[in-house]
Amino acid sequence: MKRFNNKLLMIILLIISGYGIISSCTHKDQVLPAAVSTAVKITRGNHIHLPGLTAGDTTQWKFDKVHSAVNWSTPFLEVGAALTGKFNQFGVADLSNNTKLQNYVVAGQPLPDTSWAFYEGQPEKSHFAGYVQINQINTGEPGRDGGCLVTTLATTKIVPGTQNLTVTNIAQIKTTSITFDPAGNDYIVVFNFTWQGGLAAPITESITGKLTYVPKALVPAGTYSDFGLTLAFQINKADFGIISTETADKIDIVINANFNNK
Amino acid sequence: MNDGFLSYLQQLEMIAFFSGYPLVFAISYAIAENAKINKGFISFILPSLPFSYGLLGILFLGLQLKNLYPDYSSANINSHLQHPYLVIWGLLAILFFIPGLRKKKQLPLIHSFAFFALILIDLLKHFSNSNGIVQNDMKVYAFSLIFNMCTLLVVTTIGYLFKLSQKTPAS
Repeated sequence: MKRFNNKLLMIILLIISGYGIISSCTHKDQVLPAAVSTAVKITRGNHIHLPGLTAGDTTQWKFDKVHSAVNWSTPFLEVGAALTGKFNQFGVADLSNNTKLQNYVVAGQPLPDTSWAFYEGQPEKSHFAGYVQINQINTGEPGRDGGCLVTTLATTKIVPGTQNLTVTNIAQIKTTSITFDPAGNDYIVVFNFTWQGGLAAPITESITGKLTYVPKALVPAGTYSDFGLTLAFQINKADFGIISTETADKIDIVINANFNNK
Repeated sequence: MNDGFLSYLQQLEMIAFFSGYPLVFAISYAIAENAKINKGFISFILPSLPFSYGLLGILFLGLQLKNLYPDYSSANINSHLQHPYLVIWGLLAILFFIPGLRKKKQLPLIHSFAFFALILIDLLKHFSNSNGIVQNDMKVYAFSLIFNMCTLLVVTTIGYLFKLSQKTPAS
């Protein structure tokens, strides 16, 4: 290659490179993208769900007991893996009026599940009350559920066809305040937990739990909607006179409640 | 040519390897033609150009093998190669290790023009657009210049040291 040719080549390359640099120059400082926020992103809607019993009225939300559960778990022998169970019978009714505490000779829950209201954006307006029948405890071991646990929990055996809502067989909750959880999308719930357990009379403890709202959505291939609430909290069984070395004092309880507007 | 994102990435890879060579070649040639400075280490630059270009081909092959790892089946190769002809053209740079081809110093230059043309096409196609393609190309081109110069420097240094070691009298 002759000298002239090389010079020409270099000039052409420099012109092209310079042209590229000029054309790619935006005359603007490149602003770095904002750092990714590590803060929890809280998003809340304004759904309002109110109870009702009229079938077909989509403005009224009905408690779907069949698809709800009250689960508990506690370390076996205080040190082992979790011992778990649930309650077969429960409801969303306020039993604080003692006149309702009695045996009901019916197959299902005798009281309407309407002691609740949920305002997604106004938690101060939300409230709920509910109960479980203690002798309906279910660990999957019939000998235990209808045997030693009945004694341990200081209640009476199940009478078929009867819903035992008497004071010795009922543990109930009733909210006193619901607020936004500042750390996330959940809610902080303070409620009264009333249970007699092994004591001579029921006592009420104020307990704090975390409530999670699963927003309403149309049921796939269905004509109605569903929403869910999950309440997680912990109780100390010793506070209620329950003595058992098989479980730890701390009992974790998770309530999964589904509601629909069928 | 596939206009997809992967296709563009592979095009950038090839620009990064080979497009800086013409300017490095021209500068090296200009330096070599200056008799005042074309001594010692500097005099090794021009003969090292085809070697350094061959080394770029080897490195390019290594990148392709790394991208394909661990599946070197023909199906994976087919799906991976967005510009098969350009990639094969790039791999041909390895041939400049062959002594016969090494003597023809303009051949690597002609070879590298195929990749420099990619920048030229983007410049003409996207000059008036502010979609960042020209900016990308120029950044990669700048990297390619540095990459080519470093490769040339490494090859020249090795060649120079090798020659020095041959001249050193045996003790």
